[in-house]
Amino acid sequence: MPEPYQLEKPPLKLGWLFEMAWRDSRKNRSRLFLFISAIIFGIAAIVAIYSFGYNVKKDVDNQAATLIGADLSITSNKPVDASMLQTLNTLGDRRSQERSFASMIYFPKGNGTRLVQVRALQGEFPYYGSLETTPITAGTDFKNGKKALVDQTLMLQFNAQVGDSIKVGSVTFLIAGTLNKAPGQTGISAGIAPIVYIPLQYLTETGLMQKGSRISYNYYYKYDHDVNVTKLIKGLEPKLEKANLNYDTIDTRKENTGRSFADLTKFLSLVGFIALLLGCVGVASAIHIYIREKIASIAIMRCLGVRSTQAFLIYLIQIISIGLIGSIIGAALGSLIQYLLPLVFKDFLPITVTTDLSWMAIGQGVLLGVIISVLFALLPLIAIRNISPLNTLRMSYESVNLLRDPLRWLVYVLIVGFIVVFSYFQLDSWPASIAFTIGIFIAFLILTLIAKLLMWLAKLLISNSWSYLWRQGFANLYRPNNQTIILMVSIGLSTAFICTLFFIQSMLVRQVSVSATTNTANMILFDIQPTQKQPLAGLTTQYHLPVIQQVPVVTTRINTINGKNAAQVKKDTTIQVSPHVFANEYRVTYRDTLTPTEKVIDGEWQGKAKDGAEVPVSIEDRFAKRNHLKIGDHIEFNVQGSPVKTLVTSIRTVNWNKMQTNFLVVFPAGVLEDAPQFYAMLTHVPSKEVSAKYQQAVVKQYPNVSLIDLGQVLSILDELLDKLGDIIKFMSGFSIITGIVVLIASVRISKYQRIQESVLLRTMGASRRQILVISALEYLFLGALSALTGTLIAFAGSWLLAKFSFDIPFSADVLPAGGIFLAITLLTITIGLLNSRGILNKPPLEILRGDV
Amino acid sequence: MHQFKKCAVALFALLAMGCGDKKTSDNTATDTATSKPATKQAATNTKTILVFGDSLTAGYGLDDVSESFPGVIKARIDSLKLPYNVINAGVSGETSAGGLSRIDWVLKQKPDIFLLELGANDGLRGNSVQQTIDNLQAIIDKVKAKYPAAKIILLGMQVPPSMGQKYVSDFKKMYPDLAEKNHIGLVPFLLDGVGGNPKLNQADGIHPNPTGAKIVAENVWRVLQPQL
Repeated sequence: MPEPYQLEKPPLKLGWLFEMAWRDSRKNRSRLFLFISAIIFGIAAIVAIYSFGYNVKKDVDNQAATLIGADLSITSNKPVDASMLQTLNTLGDRRSQERSFASMIYFPKGNGTRLVQVRALQGEFPYYGSLETTPITAGTDFKNGKKALVDQTLMLQFNAQVGDSIKVGSVTFLIAGTLNKAPGQTGISAGIAPIVYIPLQYLTETGLMQKGSRISYNYYYKYDHDVNVTKLIKGLEPKLEKANLNYDTIDTRKENTGRSFADLTKFLSLVGFIALLLGCVGVASAIHIYIREKIASIAIMRCLGVRSTQAFLIYLIQIISIGLIGSIIGAALGSLIQYLLPLVFKDFLPITVTTDLSWMAIGQGVLLGVIISVLFALLPLIAIRNISPLNTLRMSYESVNLLRDPLRWLVYVLIVGFIVVFSYFQLDSWPASIAFTIGIFIAFLILTLIAKLLMWLAKLLISNSWSYLWRQGFANLYRPNNQTIILMVSIGLSTAFICTLFFIQSMLVRQVSVSATTNTANMILFDIQPTQKQPLAGLTTQYHLPVIQQVPVVTTRINTINGKNAAQVKKDTTIQVSPHVFANEYRVTYRDTLTPTEKVIDGEWQGKAKDGAEVPVSIEDRFAKRNHLKIGDHIEFNVQGSPVKTLVTSIRTVNWNKMQTNFLVVFPAGVLEDAPQFYAMLTHVPSKEVSAKYQQAVVKQYPNVSLIDLGQVLSILDELLDKLGDIIKFMSGFSIITGIVVLIASVRISKYQRIQESVLLRTMGASRRQILVISALEYLFLGALSALTGTLIAFAGSWLLAKFSFDIPFSADVLPAGGIFLAITLLTITIGLLNSRGILNKPPLEILRGDV
Repeated sequence: MHQFKKCAVALFALLAMGCGDKKTSDNTATDTATSKPATKQAATNTKTILVFGDSLTAGYGLDDVSESFPGVIKARIDSLKLPYNVINAGVSGETSAGGLSRIDWVLKQKPDIFLLELGANDGLRGNSVQQTIDNLQAIIDKVKAKYPAAKIILLGMQVPPSMGQKYVSDFKKMYPDLAEKNHIGLVPFLLDGVGGNPKLNQADGIHPNPTGAKIVAENVWRVLQPQL
């Protein structure tokens, strides 16, 4: 060491600092590697989960893209003017356009006429997915001539074959193919009438485009380079709105398809957030223990005249290097896992996940690793700064009041700020990241408190009457150099994360599978007149189809609420009821029971109206909230001329995910039976063939009944929903495994904590068994208590997440939670024992003499 | 006109297949102020004009029912101090079949003049023209049977040319044929001068806006006025 005794204001000497940092690390490389390995696992977890998440998101987006078929679609119900058209032509790298309208087409062969939705198409649309046709080539070929693609059900209904012709307007088209599936037809307009595609260039010739024609102008855009379509369209929105143009992006379509996509996105951000924290736990606990071990070396250096700044910098340099090396290796490992996993689990993966190297994830991982290392190293390092050499040497720095040091508080603020900022990158919302950080902080506090409590209790309870081993095991929890707090926090937090992921995962999967598998109905019939109700049900049964639901629908309107009509409500600002309530019309039903998808959350359901009394009605929860309606409100309905006085007696939640008839307002039986009404009916058709035959029969016998075949719409959606459930399961499984690895790593680094004592005990004649029991007891207490606390925190956390973030009913199974608790406790003990195994397998002297 | 999309939207509100936003669109039935059933009439000496129809009558999408064409007519009658009360019995999405099963309920009140505005939704759903003719005929028969003295005026509709020439012409012909056969009044085309003009329709391009509704009311008024 050159010039160790310069006492007055020596220069910092950067080169020397680096050299010292390097030399210090040389002392014990295997020990250093253990610490770095914890960092590696922490960062590998982050990088693997992040990049896997990014890729899954991209792939799900690609799947979702087939719901619309392009990156962006713009729709107008009137011709777009020239200036607007110019703007539209600047969008996208590839463009297609389409005119769609309802028309009666004619099948010359069967001499039949049928309402269809004609789509006149030009360009390469669809860009995602394809027009699935039989024969396959027809999907693109039809644009080359006077050819049409005709919906499969329609073909079956009219017994038409490929090669026959249809007449659209005054032009006869050759049927080039049967249309089985087309992207972008999840809209309801697609369901109500079967689709016929024709090439756009023949549209004028059909003579159907005239003044008064109801034609929808659709423009489809595809970007070949990466563009944030949502942002782009936001800028255009005012202009589009002014021109009355509607737009649809993959994002908006996902929103409209239900909440499953949103749930997945939220879940992925939650996983990302948890990965971040797992990384923190892994890295922070390693660094914390590492620096603590270094205090003796620091003290010696200080005694030899190293300035506190220099000591501080030496270790800062070392930590940054360790953090950097660990993070880079971790990032590499994380990326590798991400490459290998799909290979291993090819058959289990719900979708073919592309394994792009995500530089974003790698960059974030490395940056995070270094920042976490530095931030968590700063805490003990700062403490060293103000301590006299002798104090450091005595290792009694812990008694100095550290809270007075303003720098220490700055570090705390930095850590909290860092977590908030990085959560923001994952959660994309400031309030959410702040709430999440507070949640973590509370979890941290609880765990620290429990750890303190445990130490206090251990001290209090310990008694000389216990056997030596028990006393020793217990005493380890509170004696100086204990690892209670650090292990409690890291095991507890990891457990909490793992459990939370598990709970949320099962809740979400339940939710998604409810929407996927219970969508059994795929055909809706409505406008069924009361007299047609029975015979139509009979006809349905005759075709061996189930009558899933048949409900009366009555159109009503609201006259007054609590005696006030629209005008009075508008004037009276003290009334919270929204005046819009009066502008809307309500399609209500009546029945004497609730359906399985409804749940009364307030008040009491009454299924029968009593004579003379106000009619007890039930309203839907969100409708009630939106309009500030509550139990006990008096609503006078106007049932097509007849006033009906009602009393809100219950508020229901309705699972709108289920494909069935749901209502905002439900009347009891015994009031509306005579009111003008129609029936809606749901059934399930197993195949296109049956659908075609059934439709034909219905149209023939009940021409007024309208019929929507959702078969195609639902099949695209169902496939996707099924996959979403699997993706959620897979991601959580993946993260849970990563969490366990991080947990193992952070318990593993406590290996050197107990080495000195164990060796001394061995030297004094303790047997292998005794030492094993002592460590087993210590780790048993730590593992069990922190796992228990973590599980309980997870219960609370999942409840909060379910209620406020995901808005799904909370449910958590105790059994798997118990399993996780047991597993983590066992795991902790096992690693604890493994930690002492190294010592036990070697003669004590060997360890006493040298480095371990 | 072109009601079916809207109707589907409304239906889907109640069938809600996972769409988060459930809007209860459409307007309904009867004018709130004047809707109390028949009982009130006898006391006063006013006569009743009953407008029986679909969303065009109900004033779909308008802020206030008084902006619908029956509302505009009511305002004009009031300003002329004529002894008539206008009852708006429009239900959005109503087809002729729906009208037929609803007519008994509506006929609980006695109309002196009965305006029949139905068929547009049949046309937009591609229902057979003969079916619509039969339903409208049955409605007319019921009104005649119950209140022989009531004057009936049929409000004619057309479907967009995009529906195909044959259907369009069959549909258009239906109203004059029915009016002639039953010796009742006829407004040849209710949306004359309004349909297809974006300035006079709401953003959906289907339903008249307040300005459009005034022109519609004018179309009706020309035929209605001589009967008052």
